[in-house]
This record gives sequence, C-alpha cells and structure tokens, in this order.
Amino acid sequence: MSNNRETLLRVENLCQYFGPTKAVDNVSFDIKKGEVFGLVGESGCGKTTTGRSIIKIYDITSGSIYFKGQRICAGTLAYKQEISGLRKTISQLKKTKPVDMDERIAACTARIAELQEEIKKADFDHRHSDREYAKELMAQVKAEYEPKLAAASAEELPALKKQYKDALRVAKKTKLITQIQMIFQDPIASLNPRMTVKEIIAEGLVINGIKDKAYIEEKVFEILELVGLVREHAGRYPHEFSGGQRQRIGIARSVIMQPELLIADEPISALDVSIQAQVINLLNELRAKLDLTILFIAHDLSVVKYFSDRIGVMYFGKMVELAPSDELFAHPLHPYTRSLLSAIPLPDPNTEKTRQRITYNPLAEHDYSVSQPSLRELTPGHFVYCNDEEELRYKKELGL
Amino acid sequence: MDKILEVKNLKISFRTSSGTLKAVRNISFDLERGRTLAIVGESGSGKSVTSKAILGILAGNSIVEGGEIIYNGKDLLKISEEDMCKIRGDEISMIFQDPLSSLNPIVKIGKQITEAMLLKNKTSRREARREFNRVLELLRSSIAAATGDAAKAKELAETFDKFCIQANRLEQSYNESANRAEDMVAALKDFLFLVEKKQKVDVKGMLREFRSKLKNIKDPFFTAKYSERLAELSKKLASAAKEYKKGEETLPTSVTAVLQELEALLSEMVAQTRPDFFRIGFYALRNPGEDLSLRNIAELNEQTLKYLNENFMDDFLALAAEGVAHSFRLCLDRKKALLPELAKAKTFFSGEFTKAGAVKYAKFLSELVGDSIDRLEMNKDSIAYTFSSTLLNAIEKYFYYSKRNPQEEARFARQSKRREALIARGKTVDWKVVPKNVLDLDELKGDILKTISQLESSYLRYVENAESVDFRARSIAIVDFLKEKASKVVYVVTRAMAKERAIKLMEEVGIAEPRMRYYQYPFEFSGGMRQRIVIAIALAADPEILICDEPTTALDVTIQAQILELINRLKEKRNLSVIFITHDLGVVANMADDIAVMYAGKIVEYGTAEDVFYDSRHPYTWALLSSMPDLDTKEKLDAIPGTPPNMIYPPVGDAFADRNKYAMQIDFEQQPPMFEISETHRAATWLLHPDAPKVEIPKIITDRIERMKKKAGGATNEQ
Repeated sequence: MSNNRETLLRVENLCQYFGPTKAVDNVSFDIKKGEVFGLVGESGCGKTTTGRSIIKIYDITSGSIYFKGQRICAGTLAYKQEISGLRKTISQLKKTKPVDMDERIAACTARIAELQEEIKKADFDHRHSDREYAKELMAQVKAEYEPKLAAASAEELPALKKQYKDALRVAKKTKLITQIQMIFQDPIASLNPRMTVKEIIAEGLVINGIKDKAYIEEKVFEILELVGLVREHAGRYPHEFSGGQRQRIGIARSVIMQPELLIADEPISALDVSIQAQVINLLNELRAKLDLTILFIAHDLSVVKYFSDRIGVMYFGKMVELAPSDELFAHPLHPYTRSLLSAIPLPDPNTEKTRQRITYNPLAEHDYSVSQPSLRELTPGHFVYCNDEEELRYKKELGL
Repeated sequence: MDKILEVKNLKISFRTSSGTLKAVRNISFDLERGRTLAIVGESGSGKSVTSKAILGILAGNSIVEGGEIIYNGKDLLKISEEDMCKIRGDEISMIFQDPLSSLNPIVKIGKQITEAMLLKNKTSRREARREFNRVLELLRSSIAAATGDAAKAKELAETFDKFCIQANRLEQSYNESANRAEDMVAALKDFLFLVEKKQKVDVKGMLREFRSKLKNIKDPFFTAKYSERLAELSKKLASAAKEYKKGEETLPTSVTAVLQELEALLSEMVAQTRPDFFRIGFYALRNPGEDLSLRNIAELNEQTLKYLNENFMDDFLALAAEGVAHSFRLCLDRKKALLPELAKAKTFFSGEFTKAGAVKYAKFLSELVGDSIDRLEMNKDSIAYTFSSTLLNAIEKYFYYSKRNPQEEARFARQSKRREALIARGKTVDWKVVPKNVLDLDELKGDILKTISQLESSYLRYVENAESVDFRARSIAIVDFLKEKASKVVYVVTRAMAKERAIKLMEEVGIAEPRMRYYQYPFEFSGGMRQRIVIAIALAADPEILICDEPTTALDVTIQAQILELINRLKEKRNLSVIFITHDLGVVANMADDIAVMYAGKIVEYGTAEDVFYDSRHPYTWALLSSMPDLDTKEKLDAIPGTPPNMIYPPVGDAFADRNKYAMQIDFEQQPPMFEISETHRAATWLLHPDAPKVEIPKIITDRIERMKKKAGGATNEQ
C-alpha cells in the first residue's frame, strides 16, 4: 500500500524556535506520493508553523526537509550545539589531563571538523537548492534543443532559437519550491483586492518567466473551470465573490503551478457550512485529477478523518502520535489524542448529552524522570511519543 | 411552560445603496426559561440580526418593519433607550462573534471583566430593593383590603421585610466563607500536586497566601465547630513557613503534612450541612442575643422551621393567599367588565376614525386594561402588559403611512421618470431607483384590530380558567420572588471580590496564569484567548438570558468542549436561558433543547433537538446535515450547490428552491406555510402538503440515524 509508494516529502528532526519559544520541536514525518497527510492539534501547537517552515516562509532552526529526495531546507542549530559541547569537553580534558587526553582531543577535533563541513553543506542546500534545481533543468533544455538547432534549416532557425531562449529562461527561473503550494485559511486576507482574478491566478506563471499572453489566458481559463468557476469570472475583482468562491480562487492560484504537494492550512475554517462541503469535494476531485499530495492542517477532526489517509497529532510543538487515520481513531494511545477525540462534537443529541470528555494534564499523565520519551513505532505505521514504561503499557492495551 | 422571551412576527430590513435588504422576514419563536434555543443557518440568514434586535443594537441603517420582542412584560422594540440600558448586559447578555471588535483596546482585561460586575451591582441592588418594596407594598395593601385589618397587615409586612433581609445578610457572609474555603481546597490540591511532581513553585509566596486566605474564613456559622482546629493549623502553618528556607529544593515533609491536614479539614467544612438562614433569620429576630452558631445545624434547622411556621409563616401565607385571592377577584371583575368595552372598541376601529380621536380612545382603553392587570401575579401576561404600547404604536404607524405612502409613490414615480428620461437621451445611468417603501394600509388597520382581539381572547381564556387558580401556590411564588430579590439587595460586590471572581472566571474559560494576565491589554492575547475573555465578560454580568453568537467558531475542539461545558454548567446553576447561534451542527447537538433552522431570513424548521436531528423534514435541514462528514462518513459529501439568494430581491417562492433538488413547481411560485408535524415540530416546505409526492430522505442521513440508533442501543445493552 502506501509503504510501497515513493516518499515525496521527508521532514527530519524539524525544530523551529522563535527566541525562547519552541514552536516546533524535533518533529519528523514523511509524506508519501498521492496521500493526504492530516496535521491536527490545538491552536498554538505548531501545526501551521510546520506547514510554513516546509514552504520556506520561515528559516528553520534545526533539522532538514527533503522534497523529492533533494534537501530544500536545513537548519544548523543542532550542529552548532554539538560543536560547543565538544569544545567544552576539550577544555575540560585540558584541565583534568587524563591519560588518554591526546587521543580524545583528536577525536573531538575531527568530529568538529566533520560538523563544520555539515554546516556548510546545510547552508548551501538551504540557500541554493533552487539554483541547483534550475541548473539541472537548464541542462535538460540544452540537451533537448542543441541537436535540434544543429539539424535545423536556415528558415526554421530564428523561430527555434526564440523557442530555445524562452525555454531556457523558464528553466532558469523555475524553482523547486514552486512545486509546493499553499492554500491559506482566510480567503479574504490572502487575495490582493487590487488585482483581478486573472492577475491573481496568473501571477505565479508570470513570475516564472512565461510571457506568452495567449498561453497564460488559456491556462487561467482552464484552471478556473477546473475549480468550478467560469471564464467570465476572470476579469472581476475578489470582493465581487462570495467566501466559497474566493477560496476557489485561492485554490486555483496554487493549482496552476502544477504543484506536487499542496499545503492546505485550515482551508475551510473560515467558510460557511454549505460551502465547506463544496470545497472539500473540490479538493478531493483535484486530488484525483491532478494526482496531488496534500498536507492538510485543520482542527476539525471529523473533516480531517474524512479527508486524510494518515494523521499526525501535535501537542506543544511535539508530534505525540502518528498513525493511519482509521487506526488512530480506532486505537488512540497517547492520552492527549484521547482527550482530543473525546472532545469532537457530533451531530447526535443522544451521544452528545452523555459525552464524557477526557482531560489531559501532561504532569499527571507522564513520569519522565526515569526514562526519556521519544517517538516510537508500536505497530507498523503507528507511532507514539512515549518512554519505555509507557511503551509496554500501550502494547499491552493493543494486545501485543 | 414559562416563556422568558417571545419573538413575534419580527421583520427587519436594511437600507443599502442598492436597495432594501430583507434580513429577517416574519419570524416567531419562544425562549423558555432554563432552556437553550439554537438558531442554525449560514451567514446572511438573519440569525445574528435577530439576536442584535433582541439587544437593541441593530446598525443605524436598519428598519424594524414590524413585530414584537416581549421580555418580562415589555416590548423590547418599543421601550426607551434608557430602559433598554437596564436590561442590556444586566438581564440579557451577549457573547459576540468577533472578539477583536468587542474588546476595548486601551483598557486592561481585568478592568473590562470586572466593569460590568461593579457597575451593575450598585444599580441592581437599588433596583432590587425598589422591586422588593413594590411587591411587598402591593401584598400589604391587598391583605389589608381583604381582611380589613390594616394594622395586622402592616405588622406582617414589616416583620417579613426585616428578617428576610437579615437572613440574606447572614447567608451571604456564610457563602463568602464557604466559597473561600472551596477555592482554598482547590488551590491546596494544585499546590500539593505540583510539589509531588517536583515542579517549580513559589513556596514562600504560596504559604503566605494560604495564611492570609485562612484568616478571611471567619463566618461564625461556618467555622463554629472547627474554630479550635483552624487556629491550631494556622499556628502550625506559620511555624512551617519559618522552617522552610528560601532556595530549598524539596518541601519538608512536616510542611506537606500540615497542608494535607488543612486540605482535609477545609473539605470537611465545605461538606457540612448548611443552615437554613431564612428560618434562622426569623428566629434571631425574635430572640436577639442568643448565639445560634454553636448549635447543631440539623437540629437548629428543624427547630427554627417549626418556630417560623408556628409564629409567622402559616399565618402570613394564609393571609397572603387571602390577599392574592382578593386582588385576583377584583381584577377578574374588571376584566369581565372590560370585555364588552373591547367589543365596542373593535367596532370603533373597524370604521372611520381621526388620529386625535383614535389616540384618545386608545389611551382610555389602555387605562382600563392597566387597571385590570393583577399585579400580584408573578407569571406576567405579556399581552395585557404590552397592550398599551402595541396599540398606540399600531395607530401611530397607520397614520404615519397613510401620509407617507402617497409621498413615497410620488418620489418613486419622479425618480423612475428621471431615470427613463436619462436613458432615453442615451446616457449611461449608474444609479438605481430606490425601491418604494409602501405598506398596505388595510393590513396596518388590521394590526390595530388584531391587538384588541388578542387581548379579548386572552381575557376570555382567563375568565374561563378562573375557577382552577391555586391561591396558596401563588402566595408561595410571591414569597420566593421576595426572597430572591432580598438576596440581590444584600449582595455587595467589592473591588477585591470582583477581582477574585474575574480570576476564577478566567481560569474557568481556560486562560493560564490569570493573575498575571489580569493586568494585560487585549493585544497581548491571541485570537482564541480574546474570545475566551469575551465569554468571561458576558458571564461576569450574571444575566438571565445569554445570547451566544458563534462563540466557539474560532476555537479548537478541546477548548470548544470546555467552553460549551462551562455554558451548560452555568445554565444549570443559574437557570440561564440561552440563545445559541451557530452553524456547527455538532455543537448544536450538544447544547440545544430546541432548534430553529433559518434560511434567507425565515425559520424553515423549528423543533426540539430530537425532532430536528432524528426526524428532520425540510430539505435545507437535510442538506445541512448531509454536507458535513462525521467520524464514520466515507462517501462523497452532498454539498449544497450555489449560494444563498440576494435578499435585496428575495425570491417569490421558497427561498431555498434554487438550491433544492427536491424543488417542485409550486416552490418557485408561492411561499410554503408552516406545516405542523407534531406539537413541538414545525417545518415550512411544500413537501409536507398532503398532495406533495413522497420523497426519500438522503441516504447519508438515514444511514447516520441508523448508526446512532445502533450506538445508543449498544450503550444500553452494555449497562
């Protein structure tokens, strides 16, 4: 199943600190091609920050993000911390002077050099991953056109040359990151009120170096129809649309770049009930038509359950549980997940009136003084943030 | 059932640059005391407008075209702003949708929460005293009139006044101490928990706080049996505080032991039997100087009850019943006499009349009706109470429009002519003619007659039921009312108390570190936190009716569940009545007793929660239910196509017809009436007409109901 699919996005030990606040702390997960990965948690738990870090709105503090096998984001804090730790050991060793001092100092310096190399690599990847990608594309274009140019006759040559130039320009301006696109929560705030719908949707193409107006127009119309709007809407301004239509424009804007990964940051929270279903259905259709992979960030658990293949639960910057959605709802293990699931409102008066909400207090639930917790895989695909003692208990609950 | 708020035939529209927008089109609903009415619908369906009309805070361009909102015998649409001020926030309070625009950016949060408590307290005490005096005086005079013994009536009323107020003073002091003890138990538990988990705590500061709090628990009735142990523990606590040195990592076990002991003692005190102060108040009045606090509480309760009944209450209730009966009969006679007068009025108003004549006659009638109201009836008859204002208003409106209509017609004709002339000259015209605002005069006249005939039928029913009135029950209701008012008279809120209550409320709505946050400004809070502040403010005023306008839409599930539980708890505790506006059906299922589904300014389905969720009849309700996934939904969602209609040009037929896959021809031509399905359940759809074809409810809903039934069945089997 999903295990056999290619990994599209891999997040490794992602940390995003804002001063002393650890918004995202050591989060790792991967997203397979074609799946919908749901990210849930209460407001302020770092789910939006995770999404924004992936699309490089923030420079991440530590960790790496790989997209299609290429590292696009890298942070250096962890390396730096290790280096300063090693330096401290060295000065300590110099003071205490044990027998094997020289050997140990040598080992430490070697490690420091290694780490500094890593930092350089990370910096390079973080800054120049797009350039490298563009170089690759340009090489491809060159390889495609050079034999053609050599074989072309005199009258074909000018037209072909122009084509070649255009293709080269587009390749040079193409960024790997444009294959990840984002849909924002608030459809009103995320559309420029002074641009027409056509300008908004075409902006990505224009920035990417496409100058062919007829092509852009055709593309915009095509996308408009794809998201359930009509051609006539292209000349209008955002304020002339209802909330649901505006969200469709936002979706069109992100889909026109033919992204492989779509980050949907609470795309339906600001919409009316009857419109929410329209947008969910639209996203589902697009997913099938365009073979999209979606990172779906939301706090409405019924929608996340309906829409996602796998779900990650975040609590205070940490990923506390990660499992296929049916498994997560059938066997929630982490106490926070349980409290979250027990709070979902359901359209059924009888169950609602007898509902028992579970409260979560991390101090009362966990005792991490003996062994430290980490994200562990208990059954295939089901990860829980726990320590040794809890792992045993959870396994017992699962009947293992 | 006891209706606390009635909305009748409410019509509201907004004047906009492109025409008159019909926001609310003739809706009626009742809110019963202690119940929650949920209004469900999309944005633009008029649910927020309705709630704003109740509070009298509609935007400036709104026009109330008709209808009544009756609360406590008053029509909220017709009373003065001054009277509205007394009700707004005090008796009817609202949690707003947008927290950013409902908080004052330059005032600290703490002040904003306590403001209402402090402001309200003074006026409400005065108001309660006035009300208490008024009802007691009415009772006294009617007892005097019934028995002819004015001196005895006066004496009884005075005694009641004295001991009732005194008893409430004693009770308030007791409650204060009990509440403090309860808070302290919670604080001790938290503190011990943190110590046990080896978290950082400010031990010195906490010990100091505990000692000062302990000093404030001093009500004689509350501490009587425990005073020695309390003093002993207080001493131990002081020495423990000395023992503990600053910077020490762990708390000495001796200190923990003292705290545990204190917690146990306070819990015991909180759990002790409550004295009944109403009885004790009377006993203390008759036997001054006797110290009652040391007596066994249960015995004391028994003894004082007997004493109260023998010496005062039996007598008082019997006489009060006589007084009530006297006043009832008097008013009954007046009502009977009024009936032919009303019949005469009907013939008068159905003929021709001048404005001056009509107003004079209406005033005469109003006076008679006012005299015929039994003021000792605690369950107010809203039709009689609002008769005067409704009648005068209807007359005023009739004459206003009989003058205004021709003017409006002329204006419309003039503007249309001008526009056509411009178009004929080939110019582009970028303005529209403002639609004419003309009301049907016959209908307005009908309103006048309707007011009178409504009163007439209400009085006829009253006269019919006159035999079955229980005067003793009525006099007990009066005593209860007076007791409640007396408790308000003595309820003093000081600044310190207000702060404590605010902090407790902030804790309850889930704000961490409330003591620090009390002094912060709104901009220092995140969106969810601000919403919680707004909720705390609305609850602080301790209202009778709480209107919640999408209070939890911006919050995440755990906090949402917490807030809903809080509202439900307060509802139970204070017998609140809640109007809950939302579009989240999950939330509705949790909160609502009754549900009104609104679409395009009309109520399309109205019923109890069970009716609407398990037996919904309107296609719009089906669409709402099937458009959101629940945890077991797998199939494609049934989205509602399109968007709501533009209410400047409301559709002729059913407003939902355009988006409705079950729509029939008649839906586009004529508006459906409300069809009654059961006593509690109504829906406005032509599908309920006997001639309509049978349609299947969408499968997604039937499946869900099936699942729910199975789940409910499974649950009962397990038990």
